[in-house]
Amino acid sequence: MPVRFLKNASELADVSWESPLPVAVTNAKPVPADTLLIATTNLFPTGERDLLGSTGAPELPTLDACGQYRKLIWFYFREGAADTTYTILARVTDHNGAPLGAGWLTIASGTLPGGANSWNRLEIPDTGDAYYDQYRILVNRTGGSGYYLISKIVGVR
Amino acid sequence: MSAERITRREMLKRLVIAPVGAAVLTTLEVREASAAALQRYYAPYFVAVLWEGRTRCDSLWRSLKGDVVAILPTVQGATPYDRLYWTGYALGNAPVNVDMRVLARAVDHNGVPLGSGWREIGQATIQTPPMRWFRVEIPEGHWDEYRLEVRSATPRLVYSRLIGSQGYWRE
Repeated sequence: MPVRFLKNASELADVSWESPLPVAVTNAKPVPADTLLIATTNLFPTGERDLLGSTGAPELPTLDACGQYRKLIWFYFREGAADTTYTILARVTDHNGAPLGAGWLTIASGTLPGGANSWNRLEIPDTGDAYYDQYRILVNRTGGSGYYLISKIVGVR
Repeated sequence: MSAERITRREMLKRLVIAPVGAAVLTTLEVREASAAALQRYYAPYFVAVLWEGRTRCDSLWRSLKGDVVAILPTVQGATPYDRLYWTGYALGNAPVNVDMRVLARAVDHNGVPLGSGWREIGQATIQTPPMRWFRVEIPEGHWDEYRLEVRSATPRLVYSRLIGSQGYWRE
């Protein structure tokens, strides 16, 4: 016997894949972590650039719409051991997505850890919570030979 | 699929004449596509069993699954988990002396690792009297794949469970 239900107030429909029974899910949970970025950064040239390769002005965000994330986890595999610095900038936007002010807030900087062909992990921010809307993540090879930096950034709610 | 237009009175008549049985209801098809949007708060603590089983330890570094193939992960899809907990019980009458190490790596959207090899999160030796429980907390979370390896100079059976916890926001 087919199972039928009242659809659109006055239509009796059979339950099927095309016409599923309306349900209210009571025990669902949001996904606690999202992959925000996977990028390969060319560090053969020197000079500061973000993970997507942008340099100079305008200082575009590397990541946008991140306000829901408490932490960002930056996983990276670096193919070379050359001295490299990193700088993590953040800012907040209004409801239209426009930054509240000019420039950026520096929330972390330092020497990029790890040697050649090594896996590494950085938490952004290192302590406390984030909840910034936009991030600009800069790297700069300051010596040695060029290499590729392969990154993955996960946002954690 | 079929549909027909009926009055509310006719619908009530049909329901009274042919009630839907509970056994039928259990097989109904439902969709959960919008489930996340329906609940905007987090459950206080959520854990999932990522692996459970028996490992035959010997002098080789073996995954908990038993393989010695270094490129294979023990668990995949671990991105949501902030911490992993490995709890087990080693059989045998001799004192337990099992080496273990935890490796991790990240993958791209196609599931391909970003680079070669693994990051070694940590290495330890589990030393307990015979027939005791042990527990290891793996703090470095949100890696996509983990490989948990064990070895023991004295062959030994270890029953264990690896769980992932999404408790990040409770810190």
